[in-house]
Amino acid sequence: MEARPADGIDFMMVGRTGPERPAGVSRIVVELRGVTREYGAGQARIRALDGVHIGFPAGSWTAVMGPSGSGKSTLMHCAAGLEKVSDGRVFLLGRDITSAPDGVLTALRRRTVGFVFQSFNLIGSLSAEQNVALPLRLARSGVSRKDVRDVLAAVGLGDRLGHRPRELSGGQQQRVAIARAMVTRPEVLFADEPTGALDSASARTVLGLMRGLVDAGGQTIVMVTHDPAAAASADAVVFLSDGRVVDRLVRPSVGAVADRLARLEG
Amino acid sequence: MLRLSLTTFREHRRLFAGAIVAVALGVALLQSSLLVMAAISDAEIPSSPSGQARERLRDAYAGAATLLGMTVLLAAFLTLFIVSSTFAFTVAQRRKELALLRLAGGSRPQLLGLLLCEASLLGTAGTAAGVLIGVPATWAQSWSLVAFGFLPAGFSPRLDGGIMLASACTGLGVALLGVLAAARRAAAVRPLEALRDAGRAARVMTVSRWFFGTSLLALTIWMIWVGQASEVLGAIVIALGVSVLGAVALSLLSPLVVPLAGRLFGLALRPSTLGELAQANLRDAVRRSASTAAPLIVLVALVLGLTGTLDSLATMVGEEQRRIVAGDLVVDSTGAAAARIAEVPGVAVASVQSTVPVSVTGRHRRAGRAYRRTVYSGVVAVDPPAYGRTHRPVARAGSLDRLHGRTIAVAPGQSEEGWRLGDVVTARVGGRRMRLRIVALLPPTLENGADNFLVPRELVPDAIAARAPAQTVVQVAPGTDPAAVAGRLRAAGIGTVRTVARWAGDRAAAEERGNMAIFAVLMGLGGLYAAVAVVNAVIIAGAERTAEFAVARVTGLSRPQVVRMALIEASAVTAIGLALGGLVAAGALAGIAAAGVRAVGVPLVAVPWTPLLLLVPGAFLVTGAASVWSTLSATRRRPVTLVTARE
Repeated sequence: MEARPADGIDFMMVGRTGPERPAGVSRIVVELRGVTREYGAGQARIRALDGVHIGFPAGSWTAVMGPSGSGKSTLMHCAAGLEKVSDGRVFLLGRDITSAPDGVLTALRRRTVGFVFQSFNLIGSLSAEQNVALPLRLARSGVSRKDVRDVLAAVGLGDRLGHRPRELSGGQQQRVAIARAMVTRPEVLFADEPTGALDSASARTVLGLMRGLVDAGGQTIVMVTHDPAAAASADAVVFLSDGRVVDRLVRPSVGAVADRLARLEG
Repeated sequence: MLRLSLTTFREHRRLFAGAIVAVALGVALLQSSLLVMAAISDAEIPSSPSGQARERLRDAYAGAATLLGMTVLLAAFLTLFIVSSTFAFTVAQRRKELALLRLAGGSRPQLLGLLLCEASLLGTAGTAAGVLIGVPATWAQSWSLVAFGFLPAGFSPRLDGGIMLASACTGLGVALLGVLAAARRAAAVRPLEALRDAGRAARVMTVSRWFFGTSLLALTIWMIWVGQASEVLGAIVIALGVSVLGAVALSLLSPLVVPLAGRLFGLALRPSTLGELAQANLRDAVRRSASTAAPLIVLVALVLGLTGTLDSLATMVGEEQRRIVAGDLVVDSTGAAAARIAEVPGVAVASVQSTVPVSVTGRHRRAGRAYRRTVYSGVVAVDPPAYGRTHRPVARAGSLDRLHGRTIAVAPGQSEEGWRLGDVVTARVGGRRMRLRIVALLPPTLENGADNFLVPRELVPDAIAARAPAQTVVQVAPGTDPAAVAGRLRAAGIGTVRTVARWAGDRAAAEERGNMAIFAVLMGLGGLYAAVAVVNAVIIAGAERTAEFAVARVTGLSRPQVVRMALIEASAVTAIGLALGGLVAAGALAGIAAAGVRAVGVPLVAVPWTPLLLLVPGAFLVTGAASVWSTLSATRRRPVTLVTARE
C-alpha cells in the first residue's frame, strides 16, 4: 500500500471479514474528523496532530506507529476523550464527544472504553481482584465476584487474586490491567505500549489475550506501539509522522512493519 | 467508596499519622479546656471573704478563662493547618493514583467522596484518641493552671458528656474542613495524568497563595515602615501584628522564599559532594522544603516576635517607673514601720504609699453609657505633698495639689476606665462610708496592675494604715550617700530597702514573669504543634523518596551517605526556617526599638534569648531525628528491589 495524503477519511476497513460482516459495512466505532491538536502558544506552538481523518471499525485491532513525537499518543488521547482537540471533531460510537462535559466522558470511561498502559497503572493499595473490580464499583453496577474471578482466571491469574501489584511480576501486572479492561466489556480498548515494559514471553501472552478480545469478544482495540512484533499482531497498522497519517498496512508482517518504520525514521 | 477509602487510608497511614496526632491533640485540648472553662463558670465565688479576695478570685477566673479561650482557638487553628497541609501534600503525591481512578471511570464527585471518607476516617481515629487523652489532659490542665497561679488551689473540673460530644464533633468537623481545599484540587486531576510517567508536578504556588502571600507581605512591610514612626504603645500593637501577619505571609510564600534562601546556603554546601546533592534536592523539591520550613517560620516568628514584644514592654515598664519616681530608695514595709522612715537621719523626703483595704464605688462612663461599679483593690493612701515631690507625672486633668480632705485621685490603673473629674464616688473605709470628689486624673502607664486610686492619708484611720503594706519612696538629703541611708534604714529594721533603679528592674521582671506564665502555656502548645507539623512533613516527604534514595544508592552512595545527605538537607531547611522566622521577629522588634529611641533615647528592646536558646537546638534536634529515622526506614530494603520494581 502506498503513502497517501490524509485528505479523505481513512476508514480502516479491516478486521473480521466474514459472511456476516462483509468488508466495507463494518460500523465505525471511533472516528476523528480533521482533528488538529496544538500545544503551547506563539513561537513555542507545536502541532501534535495536523488535520487527521481516521476511523476505527468495530471488531478490529489497529496499531498506531510512528517515530517519537509523531503524535501517536496524542491521537489516542484525543480519540479516547482524554484530551481536548484544538480543531475538528471526535466521534465515539457515533456520538460527538468533541466538547462533551466531564460527566459524559466519565460515563464513557465506565462502560464504553477501557485502557491498558505500558506502566500497568494499577492501584498499589488494592489487590489484583480489587483492581479488577474497581471500574464496576465506580460504576455502581453490581460486582459479581464470580465475574471478576473468571476474568482473572481467563488471563491466567486465578491463583493471584489477593496479591498486591508490587507482589506481581511485570507480565502479571499487565495481565491484571487487561483483566480490568475486560471486566466491563468495553466496546473500545485503548492500549499505549502495552508490551513496552515486558519480556518477549510475557509480551506474547498479552498480545494473545488482546487477540482473543477482538476475535472472541468483538471488541475494538486501538494500540500505540513502537514494537513491530506487537504491531504485526494487529489487523492493520497506521503510520504517523509530524501529526499526519502518512501510511498504512493491512494484515501486516513484522518485516513489512519494521521496513516502513525504518523508512519513516530515516 | 467507604471500602475503597479504607484501603487507601490503610495504604497511606504513614502520611496521615501526623494529621491524626494533630486531631487527637486538638480534640484533647478542646475537651479539657472546655471542661475547665465550664467548671470555672459554674464555680461559685464564696460570699464570706472580703471584697478584695472576691475580686482577686474573679480576676483569676477571668484570666484563666481568657487563657483557655486562646488555647482553644490556637489549637483549632493549628489542627486545621496541619490537617489541610497533610491532605494538600497527599493529594500532590497521589496525583497519579487519583488520575487512575478517574480513568477507571471515577467521577469528580466520587473523588471528592473518597477524600471526604478518608478525612472522616482520619477524623474518627484522631477524635477517638483525643477524647480518651482528653480525660487525663483535663486533670493535667487544671493542675497546671493551679500551679501557675491562675486558679485557686482545690479547683477540680467534672467530666461532662455534652462537652465531650461537642469536642468530638468539632474534631471530625475540623478534619472534614481541612480536606475541602485538597479535595477540590483532587477532583480537578485529569485522567490523562495517569499516563504521564512522572505525572506533571502540581503547581506549589497556587493563585490564592500568590494573592494572600504577596498582599500580606506588602501589609507587613508597610506596618514595619509605619512602626518606625509611632508611639510606644502603637509600636507594640504593630509589632504583634507584624509577627502574626509576617509569619503567615512568609509561610504562604515559602515555596518561593525557601529555595531562594537555599541558594545562599548552597554556597556553603557546594564544596562537599553530599552537600551539593543536598542543595540540589533542596531547590528541586520545593514542596518538601517549603512544608518543612513553613511551620518553623510560623513558630519562630510568633514565639520570638511575641515574647520579644512583651519582654520589651516589660523593660519599658521598668524604664517608665524609673522616670516617674524621683527618689533614691524604695522601702517596703508595713504602714507602722513606714511612719518611722522620715525620722531616720539623711532622709529628706519620705513618701509613704500604703495599699489600704478601701473599696470605691461610683459611676464610670464608657461608650456613652454609665455603669456603677466597685473597685476593691489598688487604693493607695498617700501624703499628697510628699507624693508630689517624689513622682513626676503631671495629672492630665485636675491637680494632685487639691488632694486633701474628702477627695480622691484616679491613678494610672483606672485612668482609662471612664471616671470623670468632679464626680463624687463612695468609699468604704473600715466600715465607714464617705463621699469623695474626684480632683485629679493621672495619665495611664504601661504597667499591668498599676494603682487604681489615690486617697489622702488623713481619710484612713491610723489603725488600718498601720497594718497596711506600704511602699515608701525616699529622697536623701543633698550631699548624703544613699547607700549610707539605706544602711541606716536596714539597721533600724524598717523593711526591705532597694535603690529606685533596682526596684524598677524588679517591677520589669515581675511584669515579664506574668507574661511568661501565659506564654509558656500558649507557646508550649504552639511548639508542640509545630513539632508535629515538621515531623509530619519530614516523614511524608521521606515516604515518597524511597525510589529516589534507591537510585542514589545504586549510583554509588552508601546507606550512611544517603542518611547524611538527607540530614544535611533537613538541617539546611531548618536553618532557613529559623532564619526567616527570625527575620519576621526582627522586623517586629525594629519598630519597638525605633519607638524606644524616640521616647527615651535608648532602643528598649528585649531580645528573647531564652526562647531563642530553646528553639534553635530544639528545631535542629526534631527535624534531624525525624529525617534520620525516615531515611533509615526508607532505605531498609535493598535498593535493587526498589529500582526495578514498578508501582
